[in-house]
Amino acid sequence: MTDEIRFEHISMEFPGVLANDDISLSIRDGEVFALVGENGAGKSTLMNILYGINTPTAGELYVRGEKVTTFSPKAAIDRGIGMVHQHFMLVPSFTVAQNIVLGREPKNAGVLFDNRKAEKLTRELVEEYGLEVDPSAEIRDISVGLQQRVEILKTLYRGADILILDEPTAVLTPQETDELFEVIRRIVREKQMTVIIITHKLNEVMAISDRVGVMRQGKLIGVEETKNVNEKILASMMVGRPVLFDHLEKAGEPGEVAIKVDDLYVADNRGLPAVRGVSLEVKKGEVLGIAAIEGNGQSELLEAITGLRKINRGTVAVCGRDATNHTPGEIRDMGLSHVPEDRLSTGVDKLASVADNLLVGRQKEKRFNLLGFHQRRSTVERYAEELYRKFDIRGAGIHTEVGSMSGGNMQKVVVAREFTFDTPVLVISQPTRGVDIGAMEFFHTRIIEKRNEGAAILLSSADLDEVFRLSDRIITLYEGKITGEFSANAITKEEIGFYMTGSRKEGEA
Amino acid sequence: MNNHNVWATVFSAGTFAQMLRSATPVALAALGGLMTEHAGIMNIGMDGMILMGAFVAAVASYFCASAAMGVLAAVAFGILIGLFFALFTVKLKSDEFIIGCALNTFALGVTAYLSREIFGLSGTSGYLVPCLPDVTIPLINKIPFVGEVLSGHSVFVYITWILVVLMWLFVYRTPVGFWIRASGESPETLRTAGKNPERMKWIASILCGVFCGLAGAHLSLGYLNGSFVEGMSASRGYIAFACVIFAAANPPKAYLAALMFGFFDALGLRLQDYISSDLTGTIPYLITIVMMVYVVVSGQKRRERLARQQLKKIETP
Amino acid sequence: MKKRLNVGYLVALLISLAVALLIGAAILAISGHNPLVAYRALLGGAFSNGRHIGDMLEYAMVLCLCGLACDIGSRVGIFNVGGEGQLLLGAIFAAQIGVWLDGTSAWIAIPLAALGAMAVGGFYAWIPGVLKVKLKVNEVITTIMLNTVAAFLCQFLAKGPWKNANKNIVAGTGNLPSAFWFSKLVPGSNLSTAIIFSAIITFLVWYILQKTTKGYEMRLTGDNPRFALFAGLKTDRIVIITMVISGMMCGLCGMFRVYGAEHIYKSSVSNEYYFEGLMVAMIAQYQPLPTVIISLIFAILKIGAMGMETAAGVPKQLYLIIQTVVIFCMAAETGIRVAIGKAREKRQAALDIKTRREGGAAHE
Repeated sequence: MTDEIRFEHISMEFPGVLANDDISLSIRDGEVFALVGENGAGKSTLMNILYGINTPTAGELYVRGEKVTTFSPKAAIDRGIGMVHQHFMLVPSFTVAQNIVLGREPKNAGVLFDNRKAEKLTRELVEEYGLEVDPSAEIRDISVGLQQRVEILKTLYRGADILILDEPTAVLTPQETDELFEVIRRIVREKQMTVIIITHKLNEVMAISDRVGVMRQGKLIGVEETKNVNEKILASMMVGRPVLFDHLEKAGEPGEVAIKVDDLYVADNRGLPAVRGVSLEVKKGEVLGIAAIEGNGQSELLEAITGLRKINRGTVAVCGRDATNHTPGEIRDMGLSHVPEDRLSTGVDKLASVADNLLVGRQKEKRFNLLGFHQRRSTVERYAEELYRKFDIRGAGIHTEVGSMSGGNMQKVVVAREFTFDTPVLVISQPTRGVDIGAMEFFHTRIIEKRNEGAAILLSSADLDEVFRLSDRIITLYEGKITGEFSANAITKEEIGFYMTGSRKEGEA
Repeated sequence: MNNHNVWATVFSAGTFAQMLRSATPVALAALGGLMTEHAGIMNIGMDGMILMGAFVAAVASYFCASAAMGVLAAVAFGILIGLFFALFTVKLKSDEFIIGCALNTFALGVTAYLSREIFGLSGTSGYLVPCLPDVTIPLINKIPFVGEVLSGHSVFVYITWILVVLMWLFVYRTPVGFWIRASGESPETLRTAGKNPERMKWIASILCGVFCGLAGAHLSLGYLNGSFVEGMSASRGYIAFACVIFAAANPPKAYLAALMFGFFDALGLRLQDYISSDLTGTIPYLITIVMMVYVVVSGQKRRERLARQQLKKIETP
Repeated sequence: MKKRLNVGYLVALLISLAVALLIGAAILAISGHNPLVAYRALLGGAFSNGRHIGDMLEYAMVLCLCGLACDIGSRVGIFNVGGEGQLLLGAIFAAQIGVWLDGTSAWIAIPLAALGAMAVGGFYAWIPGVLKVKLKVNEVITTIMLNTVAAFLCQFLAKGPWKNANKNIVAGTGNLPSAFWFSKLVPGSNLSTAIIFSAIITFLVWYILQKTTKGYEMRLTGDNPRFALFAGLKTDRIVIITMVISGMMCGLCGMFRVYGAEHIYKSSVSNEYYFEGLMVAMIAQYQPLPTVIISLIFAILKIGAMGMETAAGVPKQLYLIIQTVVIFCMAAETGIRVAIGKAREKRQAALDIKTRREGGAAHE
């Protein structure tokens, strides 16, 4: 087998983020290569370079031995590369056929778009590859599963023999996933195509790929033959971090129930069910950790509890009061603080100063208001200075625009604000994503402090070590359902991997 | 008041002829506006483009003593103003609304200033300028009612019909039309298809300038029989914008929308004795708002329906 | 939050003004006028006597109120383009309330007229506000449509039910009883005590936006609505209420035009003044203090241009050209600055990686 694609020392930096860090990787002709890693690990960025959307900041790319000099989708298409993006690249008001031929339309009389021919070509592709879809249906009227077929057909129409699939199963039902894999196997077998599949579902890696590469924080951690690894090994490669922590002192017994979730159903942004019948309880003075591979409903679950997402069925109670479909403000008043998963879009006002961001939620307190409306800037700034010091925020002071700070310091602003509310309930999501080791230790100490003071903490993290280190109890979520509940010291990381990847359910063990 | 009389006035040939006349400048501009709309640019600067087009056409016609030269000059100017608009909205990524707003005011100022300098302080050219011919359609003009409605209009009334068909073909039946629509609806899709969405936006903007130039030329050389009057676009750019929104940027529908505006305009004039033309004038705008709400609500319904279908598929394996 | 109002902005503004004046001078020179003479006449037109200064200040007041109405909307992320309609409706209702209350005390009539104008203007802004918040209908387009509807409605009222008894006035409400007129501060000019109220409103807007907790909450809502919601603010309500207040300010501005200057509702109450106020707000980047300053500059240009027309024979519309060129220059400046910034970021990124790699190699 020859090397179809070769990355040599590729780096890609976006303002403030090193998305790809010195990556060298070869992909062979006619193989199914899986690229796995958590969100933000740099998988999509790397593939966008291959597809010409990103021009690498440094390094070289070779396709079939030829060095790539112009990075544009057009050049990539000409090289026979096709990509199915995570967010579909389809024009909603166009028909299936029109989307497939976009950019290379068949014409009659040399001028006019030949819709009949476009549909005929589509039908031929449909028959050749067995991807059933109606060529004359409008994209906005068909399901996401069918939309994905259109995406694949589009790359085939353009004559691709290298196919990149970015998180192809994230939006599919299990049956649709099986069908997709069948298609991938067929095109590799019959058409000798090379397929690169980006995913974080490890069972799928095992099911479909010949080789697998693992990425973490912009770096390529390792490349293995799939038959030589298992899900457990991959999971530890994906989320593992050097463990150099001291023991955390946990004290006290759990008290009364502070969060009670009963038979919860929540949909994701596309209206598909993300949380399917989850029930859980978090008591005061304990940390309940959610262990799950990204995209298994944990984000939607926490958003539903904190009022940011609509609950379709079931109930949530916070400190004994019904919080189902209440506004985030009302739920906060019941005694809940929230460190959100995506700090840039949800956790801060990046145009505002550090001081203004630290104040949020307390702006109505008496000490910050003169006569009930005039904002006492000096008090606000004193308060901000105090938190700035206490939480060891490092930057150019409390007047800095938050958007210009590093991820770790931005997170410190969020944590400083939320932890200072001293509420009985804390919901924490991805506390240390994109944060350096030093700051991570700092956050962990704070979280355990809160627990020891008697707060009920619901924690979700993509970092399994983190979940283990902080939690008293752990639940595993797989495809929106709880697959197991464990006392943190009664289970090993290896075992929990089975539950996270859906290969084992409680009661089956 | 006699009911029979009212209906006779409403549905008289004069009403419909007036409707055609009123609709034409609006429809021409709307044909341009739907290009930028398809390309995803909110263009409220059409009023200024029309006004400047009207002025350029009048001046060129005045100095060359030829209405055809006037039209040609307006088209050339339309290309320039389209380039100018795209420079800001596409290249420099300025706020489309700010640029459109400024363009309208700029047009008001520059045409008034120059027309006073050229035609004297009154700010109108009078009827000094060679104008575009009226067209009598043989045979049809003999048919009662129909002839009265359709025949005898300024030449652009008929050119507009042809342009509506051509634009429909262009937008929905040529590759470039597809690319322009994709550049507005989903620019990244177009980019991944190997076409440059920015280039499509430039093309759309230039086309918009050309059509607004034509609308202006028709206004000064056809509609007003060869005269320029300050502020003569009289918010037609905004009406054209409303037509574009109303018609979801479909050329024939935009023409129908322009006819609707023209009809209510004509109706207002005809029914002055019965009901205020100002009240009938509000109707098309209110309908446009209702249409916008309808489009948004039906879009939400469509998404909900799809999600429900998807759900059903998952729950019943 | 001083960042939004920095030296760079001031420099850009001054350069844009200079460029606009130069282009204006070029146009003057080409069309056969001496630019220096014309500009001197322009300054004279704005400042030569009390009447001119009065008119200039009154116009600055209108621009300032309209600009501020736009500022507060943009602070919460909604763009009120419908101020023209809100202003016209406020003006005609205020005028008609004055006509109805003829004979009563000014202490009753004026507050009632002000309330009426604010209620109408506020209601007229509430419609697009609710459509935007509840249904996500683009408020820019709806407010543009509503502007025309309002203009037609006022025209209808002024020609029909509320028409002036005087046959020579084709479209206008009855004359406002002189007992209700705001006192003139400069006799013969448009400047009345309305400017005092306007100054108070201007101060309040500045104070609320910059100094109060409410203003702080508004800013959070406009900057990042999801974060504001997350933090417990009732963002929907904040946006709608702000939009209504914006409309109330426009309505009140219409009342000031009638009670301070025109003393009757007719079409000269506003000739798309709101759109000029909108441009002021845009140039001021929706900040209250620059809005006040640029209102003054624009008013000097406009009123001065009228003097220039009489004194130097230059068509007054030159001021519109100068104003809009300022906007184009500011937009171009922003666009170019952003482009340069992006290019610099890219170069910096390449450099970072290079140094990191070399540094990393040295470590190992």
